[in-house]
Amino acid sequence: MNQFLQQLVNGLSIGSIYALMAVGYSLVYSIMNFSNFAHGSVIMLGAYFGFFALTLAGLPFALAFFVAACCAAGVAVLLERLAYKPLRDRHAPFLYFIITAMGASIFIDNSVIATIGPTPKTFPSELLPSFLQSGAIRIGHVDVGRIDLAMFAITVVCLVALVLFIDFTRLGKAIQATAYNMKASALMGINPGFVIILVFAIGGALAGVAGVLYGMKYQVFPQMSAITLKSFIAAVFGGLGSLPGAMLGSLLLALIETFVSGYLSTQYRDLFSFIILIAMLVIRPSGIMGKTAEDKA
Amino acid sequence: MSAVLELKGLTKRFGGLAAVNDVSFAVREGGISGLIGPNGAGKTTIFNLITGVYKVSGGTIEFRGLPVQNKEPFQIAGLGITRTFQNIRLFKELSVFDNVLTACHASAKYGLAEAILRLPRFRREEKALHEKAASLLEIMGLQDRVDVTANNLPYGLQRRLEITRALALDPKLLLLDEPAAGMNPDETEQLMRLIAEVRSRFELSVLVIEHHMDLIMGVCEHIHVLSFGCTLADGTPDEVANDPKVVEAYLGAEEAKK
Amino acid sequence: MEYIQGIAILIGINLIAVLGLSILTGFTGLFSFGHGGFMAIGAYISAIVTARLHLPFALAIVAGAASAGLVSIFIGRLTLKLKGDYFCIATMGFGEAVRVILNNIDYVGGARGWESLPQLTSIWVVLGLDIAAVIVAWNLINSRHGRNMVAVREEELAAQMAGIDVYGHKMIALVVSAAMAGIAGALMANYIQFIRPTMFNMAKSTDLTIMVIFGGLGSISGSIVGTFLLVSLPELFRNFAQWRLVIYGLAVVVIMVGRPKGVMGGFELTPSGVRRSMAARRARLALEAEARALEREGAA
Repeated sequence: MNQFLQQLVNGLSIGSIYALMAVGYSLVYSIMNFSNFAHGSVIMLGAYFGFFALTLAGLPFALAFFVAACCAAGVAVLLERLAYKPLRDRHAPFLYFIITAMGASIFIDNSVIATIGPTPKTFPSELLPSFLQSGAIRIGHVDVGRIDLAMFAITVVCLVALVLFIDFTRLGKAIQATAYNMKASALMGINPGFVIILVFAIGGALAGVAGVLYGMKYQVFPQMSAITLKSFIAAVFGGLGSLPGAMLGSLLLALIETFVSGYLSTQYRDLFSFIILIAMLVIRPSGIMGKTAEDKA
Repeated sequence: MSAVLELKGLTKRFGGLAAVNDVSFAVREGGISGLIGPNGAGKTTIFNLITGVYKVSGGTIEFRGLPVQNKEPFQIAGLGITRTFQNIRLFKELSVFDNVLTACHASAKYGLAEAILRLPRFRREEKALHEKAASLLEIMGLQDRVDVTANNLPYGLQRRLEITRALALDPKLLLLDEPAAGMNPDETEQLMRLIAEVRSRFELSVLVIEHHMDLIMGVCEHIHVLSFGCTLADGTPDEVANDPKVVEAYLGAEEAKK
Repeated sequence: MEYIQGIAILIGINLIAVLGLSILTGFTGLFSFGHGGFMAIGAYISAIVTARLHLPFALAIVAGAASAGLVSIFIGRLTLKLKGDYFCIATMGFGEAVRVILNNIDYVGGARGWESLPQLTSIWVVLGLDIAAVIVAWNLINSRHGRNMVAVREEELAAQMAGIDVYGHKMIALVVSAAMAGIAGALMANYIQFIRPTMFNMAKSTDLTIMVIFGGLGSISGSIVGTFLLVSLPELFRNFAQWRLVIYGLAVVVIMVGRPKGVMGGFELTPSGVRRSMAARRARLALEAEARALEREGAA
């Protein structure tokens, strides 16, 4: 029973990271109808920003998070303006966007390897807030890692803030309207260019937070961007373009992975996410919460 | 009078909204029919239903007596229904010639192996395809522009190219979605004559969606009027022009009273 | 001389995979993150056939190609009828899955890899297969099937309306590209004589795609040029190895934003290709001259 609860907690904390990544990706997808395959590099940069904010700049923990989120948001917006917007303006085919994303991703990842170096960095525990420093706290019969708890809490805060923003603010409603129909919203006076920047910024900020959390739980290294595959699978699982779907899919994916890893074998953990992907594509491609859409002529 | 296309009780729902609601009409064999109505009336949706882009929510579509609703788009094109699009969808980066040559593919029967090994059947049929494309382009007056990249063609010629491409499949029914969009009266006049000529020369039937009343009244023998997805009127151009419901929908209730 | 022959063989091996990927991405417009996985299948099957079953190399190559092709059919059936994003994600997952699976099969060496495979790939084998691959790719592209694939890339909806079985043609492109990647993998295994799952990860897949892009989407001669450049350049710039990928990544973005048709401009480096590009240019200039003449007339 103890092991089950441990695994549950572990799964929830990984699920939090996946959720932040998947929601950021899904948000951009719902507006732009395209997958930002450079998302992983933004996550990775977020981790590095956070790490250096903490170690080099000596900023307090919470501020380091904020800096990481802002810088990651900045990178995402820069990516949009320099790489994607020119293609959008030319009505370039879908394929060009993917290729450009791939190029940007390779550029960013290898720039980090060439400058900062490929060796992984660990968040020094002395610099973390004191309540995170000792390993675990006991809840009932279970040892719950403090970092895991913190990650879950931070994720919940971020996602709740996001939902409140989207459902209750004017800007949030503008995003919803644009996701539904960009042209019609433009006619209603909503500036689509602004909404696009906003959405990339939010997605980037979430990616930044996810990166820092991942870096805290594991390590910070340039190949981190590969983790983005999990977020894509989670988003497909929950339903591409649906934010609640991305959250649900991420949690379920992480839980399944953790239980497979805990009870079967760690080796096959990554294979399982692929199996889940295949299963979804066979049974219900639109995902758990997705809607089927039809092409317009 | 036999119908080449017959819609019976055609309905399409998106969520709770019925974009097309119980629409029925027929296109006579060899005839030119028009489909008109205000924006959002469901005209392009009907085209999408006929060509298999959308699945029907109810009703049937019969082409030369056979039900074709819910078939795959390429199958429907193979059966003899082709179309042009409201926003021109040419193969932009290909030349004028290649646009038509590609569409001629169904006139050849050689398989992958014959193509890769360059067997005689491939050579024969390829030559025939090239000749067919060239002759089509000549008939449609585009023979002097065959090397132009489709994207660089002037707007009017792009429309003409799209129609040429649609003809490459030897269709029996040609669907034209707002072919006169963006054209001035002279160009519209030319287009009208082109449509009539295409109908007789290629022995096919035409269904046109249009807003340009001159084109519709000038070239269609039968008109079906839609409004908010429902049938408003159906008949000859004169009947429709004098139908009070139609006048009201287009010009307002005041005009209808006159 | 040995050294140059070595590079030539590497160029030749990669060329086969690149030609396949060119058909899939350059001509049909589908993007795969996982062709390294198909190469891996070809490589490992070839290793098993030559090193464990001691059967002839030709059989190994065919088996490698067929296996990769079969697996691609499975992936294609699941994803080619859905939006493009699904295909991309599935190929990404596929590449990773192959790596994880191979890492855990001790029979083929697991994560440590498999050494001392028989050296069976000679320059003549590679040359022969290269010529065959170029001919197959060229003949495929210049047929109604190839034109249909290009139509799918250009305007999928219009292609449907023109009677083209979009799904069927995407599948042809996928299977052909997967089989060719499988052949390349088999040749690689029995040349380097050592295989390991990490050799075929996403970095390998993106490497191949970059070769297609540099040569220009939609050009076979471009793919040949791209492969030549990108396999030989790293050898010349060994000292700057770290920065090679940084420059490639930037170059890809610049190419896509500036000149997606790459080095060859979407045309072929053949007499007919040159003629066509000149004809297109002439036609465009003629059109512009006409437009100017009409304007002058109108003003007069």
